[in-house]
Amino acid sequence: MLGFYILAGTAFGFLLSRSGAADYNYIQAMFLFESFQLYGIIGTAVVIGAAGLWLVKRGGKTAFGRPVAIELKPMHRGNVVGGLLFGVGWSVAGMCPGPILVNIGEGKVYALAALAGALVGAGAFGVFYDRLQNLLGLPPLTLGPGEG
Amino acid sequence: MPLILHNLSPLHWSLAGAGIAVITLLLVFISNHRLGISTGFEDICSLVLPQPYFRRAGIRSGRGWRLPFLAGLVLGGFLSAALGGGWALTWELGRFDAVIGFGHVGKLAWMFAGGLFIGFGTRLAGGCTSGHGIFGLSNLEWPSLVATASFMAGGMVTTQLIYRVLFAGM
Repeated sequence: MLGFYILAGTAFGFLLSRSGAADYNYIQAMFLFESFQLYGIIGTAVVIGAAGLWLVKRGGKTAFGRPVAIELKPMHRGNVVGGLLFGVGWSVAGMCPGPILVNIGEGKVYALAALAGALVGAGAFGVFYDRLQNLLGLPPLTLGPGEG
Repeated sequence: MPLILHNLSPLHWSLAGAGIAVITLLLVFISNHRLGISTGFEDICSLVLPQPYFRRAGIRSGRGWRLPFLAGLVLGGFLSAALGGGWALTWELGRFDAVIGFGHVGKLAWMFAGGLFIGFGTRLAGGCTSGHGIFGLSNLEWPSLVATASFMAGGMVTTQLIYRVLFAGM
């Protein structure tokens, strides 16, 4: 399976690189309403993804016959607060998490600084989880804020 | 608009969106995983940080597929550059260079600051563009709609502020 994960990531990274999803100009153009490209990408992915997921769940089994088990994300105030903060970061860096790694692969030096910031940010979140949990009503530690 | 990478023409949005959907569905159908990248940051943190948050099952059980998937993302970017005109280190940043124009150190500081918001924000939100925006919306999950609306709003306001207010006259 290791090869499958690397291959899937490589294909995903290549698509992000060549579609504009990992391109600073396209991110800004999306948020300035100057370009339809990224709205089109996300919209198409969601429409086809929704139809496909419905089919996969209806079939109920994976390719290897295991029951399809999709862990749902919990609803909490962090969805809004964290979403807003992430939006600020996406705009500033012109990258969301996947494209940070894609841009590093492309040779864009400054993406290393974005990765360093993201690791410090994610690390701080985990270190201060108990305090944030009270402040924002986050789920218990065993559940976490949602994986993905 | 050409890409910053070698001024390449981007793929059509419908093709890129369909390809992303196929990979998302293969991850579920073959290996029973929901697409999501930002937890990968925690997976990396969990290699060195000892706090209970990084010792939970949700993180430890995901490292085996997320870390290779993340490595694949880097490899995909590398291949895209190598096959699209050659791989080379670059500082090019398109509109940022044309309008804001900070040098290397300023760019690194700017990107580090952006990264802090990305790392903290995505984990607080419980996902990013992939986990909420693509997988969560495809799976018709309410928290993902809330998170997606929030990060799109945050991004729109911030970019409008940066390019239409702060650096508007430049």
